[in-house]
Amino acid sequence: MSSIQVRIPTPLRGLTGGKRMLEGNGATVREVLEALEGQNRGLLEQLLDETGQLRKFVNLYIDGDNIRSLNGLDSAVQPGSVISLIPAVAGGLPSASQRRLAELRQRIPEISPGEAHQFLREGGIVIDVREPDEVAAGSPPGALRIVRGFLEMRIEDKIPDFDTPLALICGGGNRSLLAADDLLQLGYTQVRSVAGGFSRWKDDGLPVDIPQSLGHKERERYSRHLLIPEVGEKGQLKLLESKVLIVGAGGLGSPAALYLAAAGVGILGIVDDDVVDRSNLQRQILHTDERVGTSKVESARDTLLGLNPDIRVVTYPVRLTSENVEDIFANYDLILDGTDNFATRYLINDASVKLGLPNVHGSIFRFDGQVSVFWPGRPGNPGPCYRCLFAEPPPPELAPSCDEAGVLGILPGVIGTLQAVETIKVLLGLGDPLVGKLLCYDALTAEFSTVRVDRDPECRYCGDHVQSFPGYVDYEQFCKGVTISESVR
Amino acid sequence: MTDSVVKKTQDLNLAPGLQPRLELLAERGYPEERCGLLLGRVKAEVTWVEQIREARNTDSNPRKRYNAHPDDILRAENRAQELGLDVVGIWHSHPDHPAVPSETDLESAWPGYSYIIVSVYGGESDALRSWRLKDGKFVEERIMT
Repeated sequence: MSSIQVRIPTPLRGLTGGKRMLEGNGATVREVLEALEGQNRGLLEQLLDETGQLRKFVNLYIDGDNIRSLNGLDSAVQPGSVISLIPAVAGGLPSASQRRLAELRQRIPEISPGEAHQFLREGGIVIDVREPDEVAAGSPPGALRIVRGFLEMRIEDKIPDFDTPLALICGGGNRSLLAADDLLQLGYTQVRSVAGGFSRWKDDGLPVDIPQSLGHKERERYSRHLLIPEVGEKGQLKLLESKVLIVGAGGLGSPAALYLAAAGVGILGIVDDDVVDRSNLQRQILHTDERVGTSKVESARDTLLGLNPDIRVVTYPVRLTSENVEDIFANYDLILDGTDNFATRYLINDASVKLGLPNVHGSIFRFDGQVSVFWPGRPGNPGPCYRCLFAEPPPPELAPSCDEAGVLGILPGVIGTLQAVETIKVLLGLGDPLVGKLLCYDALTAEFSTVRVDRDPECRYCGDHVQSFPGYVDYEQFCKGVTISESVR
Repeated sequence: MTDSVVKKTQDLNLAPGLQPRLELLAERGYPEERCGLLLGRVKAEVTWVEQIREARNTDSNPRKRYNAHPDDILRAENRAQELGLDVVGIWHSHPDHPAVPSETDLESAWPGYSYIIVSVYGGESDALRSWRLKDGKFVEERIMT
């Protein structure tokens, strides 16, 4: 049987010991090539991919016919045929982006991922400029993460000194060059780019941090928070992990719960044992006319999940008592007091003191409102508790409730909203919360004023001489009957 | 680009008349890229180009890229064999761009070939340079005519 000749082009002759022609046998192209492999190691690998298919950059001809127009590698060959290996010949002009990157490589220094890692460990600043989805899958530990689209806008807040040495990293080392040029134009003087980017970082076995991050939908929902540097992605993630208990789904609880749900507080607990009454609707905006007579906590849940279905609303259709208060409070980071009966207010205070929880307090009377944050358990800088301000409840005749005295319906809107603001500040550690201060609002004069409230060292619940929690009391008795239905606030 | 180019090492000898012919083909094709094969021999580190062949550019974006028709490469191989020569390289034109290999050229380059690039600006040929892969980068060849 006469053999089949295989013609080898110049670039592949390195694999054939310089031979132009090989001879082989077989009934198909594949068989001939496989028969040659024994004598010419690596030739088959050059021609076929891992799945045994002909690589794109090679054409095979049987005499004058391209096997792609025949039966591929299974095309039959006859003795005496010539198989020609024809390398693909292609190329082209550099694209505009390639030209620009080439120009940037001339003038922007590049460092290896290993060097960037060392730089980071020595306290240097590495900025990961990739998109959030990419960063979510992993990023150099300790890298500053600023998406390239916002880099110029945000860099100055983070890096005020223009001479700070910086290294930028992206996925493959191209976007970081473009970003480096942007920073040079802003006036930063020591900017480098990490060659090969994060893919080489991983290939080199360097450590990878998988940061928590927001999904696309969350990013959209909370975009206005993300734009505030003081909140940002980190703050928003913190809110999503936060647990806030609102006592009372009434006048104060309504705006507070709505805004906290909207802000993305991850778990909102709501305590209220009452049902919706038509007279509530003048101010309790969680509820609706058609829900009159139904459970307030259920009504609240429907409204809040309608606003933000991504949070969890936990309902407690019970009256808060000495017996259940700790079990309920133990699941939360912060208590928002939306009651206006003194018995529950003291109970909330005492349990918050015992558990060290911040108690965001609000109270209203006709045209006046007050807000404060009672937080003796504040780490490092304890504030007063409600008892430091009012060791005992006022006599009932001096402290009428809303259903006795009435209230401007909008007033709890103002005060409950301020409670929501204080809640967010405490959760995120922002600004100066109203710890040790009582903010007073007079709707008639349209004036806010702040009164200092000091810790009482003699306070029976949070003072300096308290050895152990003095225990819960009979709050109804303590308040001498100053209890008002929890639903009317 | 500087990344993929280092200093000259090997020599390439173009037979008389080939340089003007390459320039003419490049100019005629302008503003599209033209391409083809170099036929000759490699002896003692010098590439002797005796003939050139044109190949059809089958790329869908011929102003920016070239892709030589494999049938034309086969014909060039056949012709080379008849003449006792080899296909020793590729030529192509760079319309309105320097005669320097691009990243795209590098990605598709084969070792062992000379790559002649003719730059054409506004329809007028400008420079003709030759390149060769060495350790994954393009090295310029000195051209003798």
